[in-house]
Amino acid sequence: MKESRKSLRRLSLAVLIAALLLPGALFAADEIKIGVLFPLTGGAASAGRELRAGAELATDIANNVMPDLSMTMAKNAGIKSLGGAKITLIFKDHEGNPTLGADLAKKLILDDKVHGLMGAYHSSVTKAVSGVAEQYGIPLINDSSTSPDLTQQGYKWFWRTTPHDVYFTKDLFEFLKGMTEGKVKGVKAVPKKDIVNIAAACDKTEWGAAVLELIEKFSADHKFKLKKSILYASKATDLSAEVRSLIAVKPDAMLFASYSSDAILMMKTLKDQKAAPKILWGQNAGFEVPEFLNTLGETTNGVLTRTIFIPKVAQTKPIAAKINAMFKAKTGNDLSGASARAFTGIQAWVHILEKAGSAKPEDIQKAANSIQIPAEELVVPWAGIKFATSGDDIGQNVLGSGLIAQYQKGKDGKMDMEIVYPFNLATANMIYPFPKF
Amino acid sequence: MDILVGSVMSGLLIGMVLALVALGLTIIFGVMDIVNFAHGEFLMIGMYTGLLTAQATGMDPLFCLPVAAAVGFVLGVLCYGGFVKYLLRGPMIAQLLGTFGLMLVLRNLALLFFGSEDRALHHGLLVGKSFEIGMDIIISATKLAVAVMAVLSFCGVWLLMNRTKFGKALTATALNRQGARYMGIPTERMNALAWGIGGSTVTAAGALIVNFWSVTPYVGLIFTMIAFTVVALGGFGSVPGAFFAGLVVGFIMEIPGFWDFFTITFDIEWMSDVPMISFKYTWIYVAYFVIMLISPRGLFGWKQ
Repeated sequence: MKESRKSLRRLSLAVLIAALLLPGALFAADEIKIGVLFPLTGGAASAGRELRAGAELATDIANNVMPDLSMTMAKNAGIKSLGGAKITLIFKDHEGNPTLGADLAKKLILDDKVHGLMGAYHSSVTKAVSGVAEQYGIPLINDSSTSPDLTQQGYKWFWRTTPHDVYFTKDLFEFLKGMTEGKVKGVKAVPKKDIVNIAAACDKTEWGAAVLELIEKFSADHKFKLKKSILYASKATDLSAEVRSLIAVKPDAMLFASYSSDAILMMKTLKDQKAAPKILWGQNAGFEVPEFLNTLGETTNGVLTRTIFIPKVAQTKPIAAKINAMFKAKTGNDLSGASARAFTGIQAWVHILEKAGSAKPEDIQKAANSIQIPAEELVVPWAGIKFATSGDDIGQNVLGSGLIAQYQKGKDGKMDMEIVYPFNLATANMIYPFPKF
Repeated sequence: MDILVGSVMSGLLIGMVLALVALGLTIIFGVMDIVNFAHGEFLMIGMYTGLLTAQATGMDPLFCLPVAAAVGFVLGVLCYGGFVKYLLRGPMIAQLLGTFGLMLVLRNLALLFFGSEDRALHHGLLVGKSFEIGMDIIISATKLAVAVMAVLSFCGVWLLMNRTKFGKALTATALNRQGARYMGIPTERMNALAWGIGGSTVTAAGALIVNFWSVTPYVGLIFTMIAFTVVALGGFGSVPGAFFAGLVVGFIMEIPGFWDFFTITFDIEWMSDVPMISFKYTWIYVAYFVIMLISPRGLFGWKQ
């Protein structure tokens, strides 16, 4: 009896050792694991929920055949070139904390043995995670961080599908210039002196600081006067001193870069202190998550935000309409800039894996560097996805573009978002000046 | 000019609330010489109590103060009876680390129950309302109401401490514990009551603050620091000191506003380049450091 127990123990030990020695690649055929890092709790949790839902919807489509969707990834169940391997997403919550993000990325690589990574929304976290990915040689596709720095690190394992803040801030100043030239739908040419004074407040993070720097640069280039620029403490609980400081310089245009809860607090404080700018613009993030509109309601009337997707895009893109309908059925919300970008990030992953035909990091790297996804495939109104392989923006999608949208109260009394830039895509007359609170 | 008056008003209003925040800390320290590191967490619990009561009952958040005060009282007494009482038997370091541990426990319990998301009040009688008092000076209605209620609560506690038998017993315990016990004062119960009152004042302050600040389980830290500064300035154990120092710290928080005033009035180029506002809380820490350096006993302090 004692003998047999001993041999059983030996046998199980041998099995355990054998299991450990088996190469990971042997299992790769039926499952591709992608570690996804998003802020699922904390100040940007509402964005995190959006991102997660967008990524999950794309994975659903990739893993199942959906014949009525005109997308390559809807045609096969799983990755065809990998024998129908299904994609599994492993979500991790980094709470907007770069150190935690880096730790989680390590855990995903070493413990969960993921084939690739995606995330992480906050540019600061993405920066930390990209360092880890580079160190371990694991591909990281960034779907939604916009600090220009990220693609300027010369990393070989980092690709970004979304346009970054240089694109967006350039758009903003093109838009302001367009206003003085009468190019904006429904607004007569505004004398430059009416909108020349600018005040900007950005969140004190990697991303906010980058945006503020760009606003400083572009306002100088386009001869606007930046009268006040503030970096406020991120996850602020009180912004009244900041808002007083902004109002004190009597700005014509107020520009913001804030994550979810800060954006709402900023708007409430602006209303509280009766700020009266002619233009109020948000750099995406907190200004375009559904919670912003749901919480503030009609207070948002006239607020501009840069984004890459609003439901109005669906009018000109049938595929966007279909995906939007699926997303709405799943979550109750329309696709937003965040969810559409997470969707597109997973879509890029699927195309790259399909092209690579292998789950080896080197093959994925090669495929990513040579991929070209056409515009018809995408939900977002870009010219496609193609990553730069040289220059000082390595890994950046060169075919992306942004929109500027405005919250407007429709005739039916419901709030909606309308495109005001690019001028040729405008879907409504712009509300100018910004209505008083 | 408007920014100067605006900053003064804002500093004054927030200062009154900060005074109430610090009151509990100074009472607890005065009575039993123990520094409560979990003070900010009590405030955080008060904020959640105010917020959740308002949301659950549809009651105006301003009137959730009694509920929060009651919760704070019970919490304070429980903390004392179940935990602090035993700490007092240990050395000083055990008391310090003990309340520090209490802070971690409360914070993580809040994380467990409420999650780490920001929550804020978006409805209520005065939420989002403000009025102009001329010269472009805008006063937020919630802040004004909150300041008034803070002052009323403060006066209530002051009367309780100075005009009642119970308050005298509490003061006696603070001055000489052994002597008080010989006089027949139940010092053990006084300690528990000090924690109860300390807890209820700070949770009441929390229920007021949640009218205009959002709450997360981490919000306590900044308030603990503010409360420490207020108490250090006013003097450990001094109730009027806490009020006066609260106002001063309120003004310290408005330093960036005063800076803006000088920048704009005198049109000084280099001043506008200093990112003063990014460091708005720094001045509180600087003030704490300076007070500790020159007058560790504070302005009205009688305990060392």
